[in-house]
Amino acid sequence: MLNPIARGDFAALLNATSPATLGASAVPRRSADLTSGTSATPDNGLASEPIHGTTVIAVKYKDGVINVGDRRATGGFAIMYDQAEKVLPLDDYTLIAISGSFSRAMEIVRYLRHAFKFYERSQLQPMSLDGKLSELGRVIAGNVQAAMSGIGAVIPVLSTFDIDRDEGRIYFYDGGGARFETADFGAAGSGSTQIRGAFEYIAKTKGPFREMDRDTALREALTLLEIAADLDAATGGAGKILPLAKTITADGIEDVEPDAVRAIVREIVGNEPLAVGAAAGR
Amino acid sequence: MGYSLYDWNQALQQRNEYVEDRLKDGSPIIAVSYEDGILMLTIRGTQRKLFDVYDRLMMGALGKQSDIESLRLAAVDVAHKEGFERSPDDVSIQRLVGFSLSPAVKRVYNDQQSIPLTFRAVFAEMSRSPETDHFFILGYEGEFRTQERFAVAAGTPYAEEQAEDVLREAAPATLDEALRAALQAWGTGRSRLSPTSGNGDDEEAREFDPLRDDRRGGDEGPTVSDDPAVAIREALKDKGVVEAAILSRNSARESKFRLLKERDLEAVLADYR
Repeated sequence: MLNPIARGDFAALLNATSPATLGASAVPRRSADLTSGTSATPDNGLASEPIHGTTVIAVKYKDGVINVGDRRATGGFAIMYDQAEKVLPLDDYTLIAISGSFSRAMEIVRYLRHAFKFYERSQLQPMSLDGKLSELGRVIAGNVQAAMSGIGAVIPVLSTFDIDRDEGRIYFYDGGGARFETADFGAAGSGSTQIRGAFEYIAKTKGPFREMDRDTALREALTLLEIAADLDAATGGAGKILPLAKTITADGIEDVEPDAVRAIVREIVGNEPLAVGAAAGR
Repeated sequence: MGYSLYDWNQALQQRNEYVEDRLKDGSPIIAVSYEDGILMLTIRGTQRKLFDVYDRLMMGALGKQSDIESLRLAAVDVAHKEGFERSPDDVSIQRLVGFSLSPAVKRVYNDQQSIPLTFRAVFAEMSRSPETDHFFILGYEGEFRTQERFAVAAGTPYAEEQAEDVLREAAPATLDEALRAALQAWGTGRSRLSPTSGNGDDEEAREFDPLRDDRRGGDEGPTVSDDPAVAIREALKDKGVVEAAILSRNSARESKFRLLKERDLEAVLADYR
């Protein structure tokens, strides 16, 4: 009796339900349809490919990689949950940041965690980085059917610390499971399209992310997250609940202390609503 | 001449003798609870004897390498299937050993056409406190028993009892105390195989006086003493490696297993080098 995990047969282990999504229809359809059912190809009037309501950001910094993610989980126009954890550890040195169908993503993360642990325990050596990346790619590719039928697409950003090279590495995947390594940063979700250019601007004006210290990189990433929240309805802002922030270094995965995140968020978000229009006077 | 009940009994006894004979010289597995976790310790040659099975489960075994490997793979497989299909919280030592491994081992033992799996294994499951830690000892015939606080698998039942006495007396609280007690228990289990060991009739044994202080072994010929310290020194001299693994109660990781490194063992081994 072959263990399905050993075969890598992810499809055999899933069941096809996805009640809460990270925003399959987080934004209005072009045809001004006001029903709040899930739409097959949600768009925001700017992008023409399916998008996933969230923003998760991964940037390198001098000690490794930092991941930040918003907290909002939407279903149609309703905000279903505002404390969602979208950046999750896969093992001691690997973080996965997810966008897309929340339930599928949780199943994928659960499966991968088990697959890696099972491999390490039964083979008495950990899976290589390449092996883990391929496993994730295979899982995404196995999910294409669900993705194309409008439910269950998952786009991850994988961050890891490479002990051999002593540096952080970031990979993003497309819907078919192809893997791309990035030089400096990666982002996924509906909000990521809104801020894509801003990463480049920062890198060109302030220097590459991988040379920044942790708090500088954290400030840049949280600023970008807040901009995404301003421009994308499906991305939650940092005003009520602190965004997720985790680092991976040679010492492993750590949560950034809430006080550090709070201090930066206070400066970025501010508390003074702006008066505009006639009320503001001339 | 037909196959009578006498033949059947003989065959059974022969099979048991065959296996017991091969287990007699095995390096004992010592497992003991302490405040912050469970320690498993043994001295091995080139092959590993202690293994991680699941988040809070580990095992150690003596016997034939290939049989231990089959047992280990089966244990890891069953545990992970259960942990994935249901939940990591549902993986328990009782179900793993009692419901999955024991029947499988018994089936192999009953099979007249093959040799029984030659092993004796200790499984340890960590809980919130030392009082509720579980130890299971599984034998080649599929029989298992549970224990609290500590467990030993050694070459003979007498050796196991002797080693258990050491652990019972020691009742370690810290990892350091657990290491010292476990090492001493290992030496006891290795050297005191029967009530008469150390008092043998051969020349070499008579020449050896346990009260002499200048024990060195090596050029004095093979030692047949029942002194645990001597057994340990001999094993270390003979290229033996102390293998020690812990399940750590206070670890933040999901998997609580950790193989101890050379430097973690330096302090305790200094007495025996």
